[in-house]
Amino acid sequence: MANQAVLDQETFETFHNWRVNRAEYAKQWKKRTGGKIIGYFCTYVPEELLYAAGILPVRILGSHEVQDVTEPHIFAMFCPFCRDCLAQGLKGRFDYLDGITIAQSCLHIRQSFTSWQKHIPVDYNYYLPMPNHVQSPRAAPFLTKELEVFKASLEKWLGRKIDDAAIDDAIEVYNRNRDLLWKVYELRKGDAPPLTGEEAMEMVLSSQMVDKQDHNAALETLLTRLSKRESTRSTGTRLMILGSENDDIEFIRMVELCDATFVTDDHCTGSRYFWNNVKLNGNRLENIAERYIKRVPCPSKDWPQRTRVAHVLELAKTYGIQGAIVMQQKFCDPHEIDTPALIKALNGVGLKTLFLEFDVTVPIGQFKVRVEAFLEMLQEDDLF
Amino acid sequence: MSEKQEFWRWKEYRWHDESMDWKDADIISAGVDIGSVSSQAVIMADGKLYAFSNQRTGFDSPESANQAINWAMEGTGMTVKDLHYTVGTGYGRVNVPFADKALTEIACHARGGNFMYGPSVRTLLDMGGQDCKAIRCDERGKVEAFLMNDKCAAGTGRGMEVFADLLAIPIEEVGELSLSVEEEPEPVSSTCVVFAKSEASALLREGWPKNKVLAAYCSAMAHRVVTLLERIEVQKDFAITGGIAKNSGVVKRLEKELGLEALKTKYDSQIAGALGAALFGKALETKRRKN
Repeated sequence: MANQAVLDQETFETFHNWRVNRAEYAKQWKKRTGGKIIGYFCTYVPEELLYAAGILPVRILGSHEVQDVTEPHIFAMFCPFCRDCLAQGLKGRFDYLDGITIAQSCLHIRQSFTSWQKHIPVDYNYYLPMPNHVQSPRAAPFLTKELEVFKASLEKWLGRKIDDAAIDDAIEVYNRNRDLLWKVYELRKGDAPPLTGEEAMEMVLSSQMVDKQDHNAALETLLTRLSKRESTRSTGTRLMILGSENDDIEFIRMVELCDATFVTDDHCTGSRYFWNNVKLNGNRLENIAERYIKRVPCPSKDWPQRTRVAHVLELAKTYGIQGAIVMQQKFCDPHEIDTPALIKALNGVGLKTLFLEFDVTVPIGQFKVRVEAFLEMLQEDDLF
Repeated sequence: MSEKQEFWRWKEYRWHDESMDWKDADIISAGVDIGSVSSQAVIMADGKLYAFSNQRTGFDSPESANQAINWAMEGTGMTVKDLHYTVGTGYGRVNVPFADKALTEIACHARGGNFMYGPSVRTLLDMGGQDCKAIRCDERGKVEAFLMNDKCAAGTGRGMEVFADLLAIPIEEVGELSLSVEEEPEPVSSTCVVFAKSEASALLREGWPKNKVLAAYCSAMAHRVVTLLERIEVQKDFAITGGIAKNSGVVKRLEKELGLEALKTKYDSQIAGALGAALFGKALETKRRKN
């Protein structure tokens, strides 16, 4: 059994604490800065613009607890993640939010947004019509204009202008964060990665919850520590995990206790969130729009060409994975369409895959059998 | 006072090869499969089947493991100390107190199936007590791909036990009786054990004979596992392990729907997991001695 315990716990304590005590952090941030906090539902929201306005953008995520409060609001055949997110609002767990926003991605999460809008009073809400056809040459100009409208809306709400210098600063802070996260991910390419998949998940998730400047400072410290971190933990089988939204720390931990390590991922709670930077070149809003149009896409936007497949294969190669766990939230239509193509492509380069469907709660025991059997498929060749 | 018959109870038994002397063997390996419904212990002497037991699993997995191995060794003069390497498998695989290693029942069924049915097996269906697995394997019995049923007990042995009890038909007779219908009825619409039982009760009230109700349930169960098998792409040869392999009512309907005959074996299909575990035990002991 791999021993998580031999990795020192304190290195990632800051990130873990931020994730677990996110409400407390947000409330203190508000007290400290006097700023407003906006909850966002999808990583296509251009956080840079909010940050430039002095707003703290925080991602709305679920809690993985069984609930029934969303029954009157969202169909049962919508994904568990969107219901879990709305449940948090209905239970008052995001009572510190001044506003909410979403950029168009899938209809399920948009339903959470509209239900929230209707049933949970917030001072400000904004729906950003982010194009789904990002491969169209008209997508970036369209989004640029939409960002102008969004900016004007924020300015009206706040009663002040968002100046260019603030946008530049925000872009710098956000690019810095993405660079630092990327540097940590680079360390996972080595034979003995100095961090586990669980720790990487804590790190990225917390970046969606706290002020990026605080996060950047913590990442700087982390990189220094990781360079000196000595691990006697066995890496075991090198795995990748990919698919829809995934913040299921418990699942990641379970897998990594079976002599395996997640060395990379393709999730909007992982690498997909930070993989691409804003390239400053003239018009700021245009540059931000370009970033969101050209980022590693969510399958709701990856058409008519499937560009993500090539990206996933590149990750698989450069991170030296031995197998991949392909997961998706139950009833997630965009990922359901992508999953067969991804599995086929991974199998095509000789990588075996395990497909798992996630719900609000994950049946750890039942999944463990599948995971262990999958790992046995990849190992134990000398027993035959 | 008369004793009420429990129709779901299948035969618990043990066996050992009296023609063999285990003391002649270089490696004694054991496999203990603690399933959700049944537990088996298999003992092999140099890779040859020497003894086994097959019993119901109790609420206490370590105790079930102890009982299974002790029963398999009964009358042989062997004790747990004589086992060179033991592999635990099944749901209770980590709760086998005397095991050296735990491996999943998926790997073990593939390995055991390979031993029981021969190296030509490429697709294996394990129909266990509370789950069902479609496994594709190579000529060595190594898993290449697998799929398990979802989060309920539909299409599994426990469901069949519930039906045996409901209809007061001994479990061993369910299959043959279900095949005695003149015309195949529509399958029950739900394979959920609870819903299917309600549906069956309604059919009985409508006057359906028992064999017809059983045919409708066996047919639904066969259809459900065929959909699982199709997802993994069935390749020849095909074989079935687990308790349901003994139910001709399910097996024949399954074969018909698949258009493929399942291989036959002289071994008890229920011991496949423990058998595979014991074979892995032998390989692990050989490896240990080399190092």
